[in-house]
Amino acid sequence: MNWKLIGDLVRLRYKLMWAKTRSRNGKIALFVTGYLLFVLVAALLAAGGLSAGIVAIQSGRAERMAQVVLSGLFLNAVFGSVLLGFGMNAAFSDGELRRYPLRERERFVARHFLGILDPFWFLILALEAGLVVGLYVYGTYSFWNGAIAVLLLFVCGYLLTRVVGVWIDRLMSTRSGSMVVLLIVMSLSLAPGTLTPILKKNPALMREGLAVLRYTPPFGAAAAMIHQRADALLGLGLIAGWAAALAVTLVALERRPARPQQVARGSGSLWNSPFDRVAALFGPRMAPLVGYWLRFYLRNNRFRMLYLFSLPLAAFLTFNLGQMRKGGAGLAVAAMGALPIATFLGTSRIAVNQFGYVGGAFRRFFLFPTDPAASLRAGSYAAVLLGAAMIPPAAILWAVFAPRPLDARVVLMPVVNGVTALFVFHALGLWTTLYGPRRGNYDKSLGNDMSLMGNLAVVGVTLACMFLPMALHFAAPAAVSPANWWLTLPPAALAVAFYAASLRGASAAFPARRERLLAVVEGKA
Amino acid sequence: MTSQTDAIRITNLVKRYGQSLAVEDLSLSVPRGSMFGFLGPNGSGKSTTIGCLTGLLDPNAGEVEILGGRFTAESADLKRRMGVMPETLGLFDPLYAHEFLAFVARMYGLEEAGARRRVTELLAALELTDTRKTLAEFSTGMRKRVAFAAAVIHSPDVLFLDEPFESIDPAGVALLKQWLRRFTEQGRTVFITSHVLETVERLCDRVAIITKPGKLVWQGDITVLANDGAIEHQGRQFESLEALFLHLTGEKYADLNWL
Repeated sequence: MNWKLIGDLVRLRYKLMWAKTRSRNGKIALFVTGYLLFVLVAALLAAGGLSAGIVAIQSGRAERMAQVVLSGLFLNAVFGSVLLGFGMNAAFSDGELRRYPLRERERFVARHFLGILDPFWFLILALEAGLVVGLYVYGTYSFWNGAIAVLLLFVCGYLLTRVVGVWIDRLMSTRSGSMVVLLIVMSLSLAPGTLTPILKKNPALMREGLAVLRYTPPFGAAAAMIHQRADALLGLGLIAGWAAALAVTLVALERRPARPQQVARGSGSLWNSPFDRVAALFGPRMAPLVGYWLRFYLRNNRFRMLYLFSLPLAAFLTFNLGQMRKGGAGLAVAAMGALPIATFLGTSRIAVNQFGYVGGAFRRFFLFPTDPAASLRAGSYAAVLLGAAMIPPAAILWAVFAPRPLDARVVLMPVVNGVTALFVFHALGLWTTLYGPRRGNYDKSLGNDMSLMGNLAVVGVTLACMFLPMALHFAAPAAVSPANWWLTLPPAALAVAFYAASLRGASAAFPARRERLLAVVEGKA
Repeated sequence: MTSQTDAIRITNLVKRYGQSLAVEDLSLSVPRGSMFGFLGPNGSGKSTTIGCLTGLLDPNAGEVEILGGRFTAESADLKRRMGVMPETLGLFDPLYAHEFLAFVARMYGLEEAGARRRVTELLAALELTDTRKTLAEFSTGMRKRVAFAAAVIHSPDVLFLDEPFESIDPAGVALLKQWLRRFTEQGRTVFITSHVLETVERLCDRVAIITKPGKLVWQGDITVLANDGAIEHQGRQFESLEALFLHLTGEKYADLNWL
């Protein structure tokens, strides 16, 4: 194994990261990220892992507590990575590494060694380490067993994320892949809601389920932390076995060549494809550009995956946030925030960085005999159109599962909030496209390649959607009561006005940002 | 006012990127109906100049006139009469070749029947008939052909081509040259940048040579070279464009004894 070269590549990765901080935006991003990481690690290490360790010992159920905490962290890391792309950015592709004197095995190790050194994974490791420290300081458990278990679990989490990521990527490039992914995601999102009542009614089933879970990596790690000698070794062996199996699976998956992206074949008609018929709604001048942007979105694996995820995620959030408040009112309040997320999650990555995935083609927008800012507006129209298309199915789904007797106002309120979120998010997307651009890879389905400003827009609006209705429910319950359904209308009207103003403002600012955008999207800045 | 015989006139053009000077007080004129070669070493400002001439970049100073009108990034009427093949090709990768060309045709205001005919003819002539591949899946040479087709689909009066021949096979290059000659015979103008000096020598009738930072060092007629003549410059005779270019831009020799 050429460890020297791999070490040089690791150094190069961090040099490249450091190089990005030379710009003003890069310095701000570094400061904010560093500060957030420091605060998060410190707070979570103390409040999360350590506290869990203390509670585990005081309650006398140390192993169960460790199982729950480690499983939660493990699943959150995997879902957070797959869904939001954290920790999934490969520093170098296999193709890039081929120029160096590295064998296939060394390239594999180098890529994933660089991948696991992402700050996101260190955060997860810090949380898990907190539990080890808590158990060690306040109990009589082996520090070294815990440390090894946590390291192995950390590797397992990374490998599982990669396996899931590559598998989804391969699946999405097949004709029926989108449907399969949708079915799986729907099943996973509805599983907690379906299984919880069943398990509560059947304790025997719960025991059997826990017996099966004993063979998962987090339970193996919990066993290694709590038990001594043979049982601890068995726990460590279990995680090591999982890590080896996942590594083999990853190698096998990566060796299977990715099929070319299956996209809809050109219809032969140059003016009357479904894209162009929809785009024609925007008038003859905008129609070609909107048609292009619709193709750009709909042929993108990343968009299609997130678009498919958005409805199940809305269902999942409605159920889980709704469970936090007992009764139908909880579900209704949760739906008011969860449904709107479906209106922008699919388009989010591209909408906040419209030109970041266009590359050198960005130049062409300035060669056409039209207002160059029309390309910005057309991209936004396409995104709004696609986001709006999610509202009817989401409303129907909510109407089917909403508490009975069905109150039309309970269905209407999330729909109006959906309109609000749709326009607020895409208005912000116009500004982040101009002032927070980042060069991205159109063909990459996974990974978070948004700028800091883009991330703030996506995460900020998502969190606002999730928690604002709940906060209002606590502070002013009347504000989210069906009796006052009309209170959702003024924010929607304001959102539309904000979007319209942003279209005008961003179009006016576009010429001045042109050269900066060009430098960023072509990788010269 | 631009002379009636000039398709392009640049007057005292200056372009800076921050503190760095990319084009320094460049002035030149390109007669209508000419095949004009715009040459210079790497980083000399050729693409920046083309950027200023096509509305991609805003000059810091100076003036650009095209087809008799003052040109800025907002000059939609002039842009309609210009065709551009940018350095980066500017292709929309998720589209198929026929979709892309149809899109470009629509952006230039071509009506459907005419655009359909032109797209079909261009794809056939440039051997781009593989409809199963998106532009992202095309080879470099095929992508270049598509970019060329996009530059000419609306029959422009002035054509800007940034390195048009690199990566295209000899048969393709021969076809493009044939089209370009016919293009100029009809009184239209071609503005080419290229590092392949032999091709420029055979194809172009006028040439401008710039050095870093975008400073004009020579411009003139080179048709004399096609008739086995020589260009005279500062009392010296140059029998090829390459000799003149190396003289003006600085011939370099570095002995790497390990190579």
